[in-house]
Amino acid sequence: MDATMAMYVAQGLHGLAYGMLLFLVASGLTLIFGMMGILTLAHAAFFMLAAYFGFQVLQITQNFWMALIVAPVAVGILGVLCERFLIRKAHVMGHIGELILTVGVALVIMDAVKAIWGTESLYLKVPEYLQGLVSIGGLEYPIYRLFIIGMALLLLIILALILYKTRLGLIVRAAVSDADMVNALGVNVPLVFMLVFGVGTWMAGVAGVAIAPILTVFPGLADQMGMDAYIIVVVGGFGSLSGAFLVSIIFGLLSSYGVQFISQLAPVLMFIFMAIVLIIKPAGIFGERED
Amino acid sequence: MNILETKEVSHDFRGLWALRNVNLQIEKGERHAIIGPNGAGKTTLFNVITGTYVPSRGKVFFKGKDVTKAKPHDMVRLGMGRSFQITSTFPRLTAFENIRMAVLSKRGIRFNLFQKVDKMKSITEETDAILKRINLDGERDLPASALSYGKNRSLEISMALSTDPEIVMLDEPTAGMSRDETHTAVELVRRLTEGKTTVIIEHDMDVVFSLADRITVLHHGEILAVGAPKEIGENQAVKDAYLGEMEV
Amino acid sequence: MNKKTKWILWGVFLIFLIVYPLVFGIYYTNVFVTFTIAALFSVSVNMLLGFTGFLSFGHAMFFGAGAYGTAIALAHIKGLPLLISVFIGFMSAVLLALILAPLVVRLSVTAFAMIHMAFGMLMYTLALKLRNITGGEDGIGGFPIPSFGVPGIFSIDMTDPTNFYYFAMAIIGFTLWILWFITKTPFGCLMVGIRDNAKRIDYLGFKLPQTKGVVYLIAGGCCGIAGSIFALFQNLISAYELHIMHSFTPIMMIMVGGVGSYFGPILGAGIFTMLGELTTRYTERVELVIGLILIAVIMYFPLGCIGFYHYLKTKYLKRKAA
Repeated sequence: MDATMAMYVAQGLHGLAYGMLLFLVASGLTLIFGMMGILTLAHAAFFMLAAYFGFQVLQITQNFWMALIVAPVAVGILGVLCERFLIRKAHVMGHIGELILTVGVALVIMDAVKAIWGTESLYLKVPEYLQGLVSIGGLEYPIYRLFIIGMALLLLIILALILYKTRLGLIVRAAVSDADMVNALGVNVPLVFMLVFGVGTWMAGVAGVAIAPILTVFPGLADQMGMDAYIIVVVGGFGSLSGAFLVSIIFGLLSSYGVQFISQLAPVLMFIFMAIVLIIKPAGIFGERED
Repeated sequence: MNILETKEVSHDFRGLWALRNVNLQIEKGERHAIIGPNGAGKTTLFNVITGTYVPSRGKVFFKGKDVTKAKPHDMVRLGMGRSFQITSTFPRLTAFENIRMAVLSKRGIRFNLFQKVDKMKSITEETDAILKRINLDGERDLPASALSYGKNRSLEISMALSTDPEIVMLDEPTAGMSRDETHTAVELVRRLTEGKTTVIIEHDMDVVFSLADRITVLHHGEILAVGAPKEIGENQAVKDAYLGEMEV
Repeated sequence: MNKKTKWILWGVFLIFLIVYPLVFGIYYTNVFVTFTIAALFSVSVNMLLGFTGFLSFGHAMFFGAGAYGTAIALAHIKGLPLLISVFIGFMSAVLLALILAPLVVRLSVTAFAMIHMAFGMLMYTLALKLRNITGGEDGIGGFPIPSFGVPGIFSIDMTDPTNFYYFAMAIIGFTLWILWFITKTPFGCLMVGIRDNAKRIDYLGFKLPQTKGVVYLIAGGCCGIAGSIFALFQNLISAYELHIMHSFTPIMMIMVGGVGSYFGPILGAGIFTMLGELTTRYTERVELVIGLILIAVIMYFPLGCIGFYHYLKTKYLKRKAA
């Protein structure tokens, strides 16, 4: 493999890794939206909070795996509490009230993080066997990013299995396509809501901890990735997991190749992509519902 | 002359055919009822005609014009009014403001940013006259959400009529009403649609037979029979369809 | 309230506005200008949120368009008259709205909110990056503030805080009056109708996207006027004013004051200006305070202060009747 080719492949893998993490964040959003019709703007804040939790757990236990497991779960529990005690009780102006409420939660989390951990960048150290480069067919590539791709794939497969092979998955899918159907199925809907909210937040948490060693942990962490995730949900089509997946990967590749070739305009690329999609199809690529 | 016509209209929802080759013909000035068991495609047919959906196949003609792809507001501007099965008024606006919205539309007042609406006397007068005619003058300043179900239905129906359409499409005007309310509503419909072409979806057979000049029976998305109430009442296929699905 | 008392009250209010700077001094005069700019910003956003039912998380970009429009024009064109510079700010915001309108008017509530957040972030990034136009983080400052007047006849110095106060009051007051008037017109009825039941508006023969588009232009343009006055007032505009937090501010003011009414956002702006004076003295955690207020309002006072007032009033009247 010559040098140019290697660069292309490396950028492609970078984009894939970023796209996978984006999808972890965006799929949680999509599930929650599909289920409850709520776009939770606190999602990015939870994502960032998980990175800080991960840092804290690593400080205490000196074990990266503990951080990767404990922090997302903790964030997931916070998400459940947030759903149970705040979002469920907000009934004003339809979705507008819920949107504003989740903005409130996001602001509180983001500022609390600054108050507790400060504004400096914090470093998460990965175990030695995940550091360094690996050589694949002449291409030197960081092991950790490959690990991210693998882990995200694994989570994806588990998610797909749950969605398509279990009764719970059936309920969730039914609810995503038709909210009234769940009531007809005679399911404890609030409980399923809480569960989905928890799982969605947990996945964002996993992405948060996973990306921390690459980007470091800092208060602006939520901004870029959170924004990308929200755009993905809008562009992919509200409530459409396949749409979210496709757009996540496109965004991942757009941003990595974008940085390579037109670094100044890289952030603008996604907005142009979004604008084009929405002009052609206001409900998003795979969108059918509009609420 | 047919004021409204559908030609070979079919519509599917992801492979599920809700309408199949429907040829509906509405004559000018008649009261035409569309009946059929639940899921027969009545509301879908309404949605196709009034511009909610573009049918998968076939064409819709209104006053001789091809309106297959027209949007709801286009249909209203061409002279069609529609009411909904599920009450669709403006909940936070008063009864007066609800009707006024239709009156504004009728007058073609759409982008007037230069006049206070309260000072437009003729609009207020016309709105009040309508409220009086539908016996809602007592509830003039109550928000629609505070009205009784029956009154809200009256509001719903008369909003469809207040744009002064040539043809009105009423989707189950008596849905969910008590016997007394139904009676009042039927009288209201009879009074307000005098001289207008009316297409009405209805479940209550008494209502259908007392109001309609002609009836179209839909079954599984297809037209089963068309005719005067008497003919339909004696039609064996219709009886079978209803006995088979409705009376269970 | 009859017509006469109404006119008397307005008269009293006008006199209050006129004497205010003479009584309270320069510091509080400037605080008042800040308040009215925030009020105009909130009322404009409320045309979308409260009257038409559309939430935007990105209207700081229209505020910014107005501010940058005015600032850039003044920095580059010599001898530009004051009113023209405000008009340029207004037109920049309208232009931005014109570009975005075809894209956003067909979107659902949630998509509308999100797209604005995204575009808001984009504008913020652009303002930071396009250094040679916007001055990046430093922004554009120190541009000449023209005097108000007719050349050769009279001229009022606008760098004097009191003079500027009167100028700002006139422009903002006039814009607020226009917006209030619009809510009373048939078009205002239409806006409220869209908020309550957009589908029915379509079935009454009104074109939804076009109607929303006009509201969007009005709201955007008036945010631009607020931004333009802000730029003149501060003699500085930087990317910070485009930050997403600055998009949340009007929403918060609207929610706290009362989303359902015209005057709610003005009340909200007043409350926040006062709170701002207090909180910045005691805490740096502004976002935390804002977040907690948003949560509390949505959970316990969904219709804000004005809604709470109506609630108390009906309760009082009921007790009196009993």
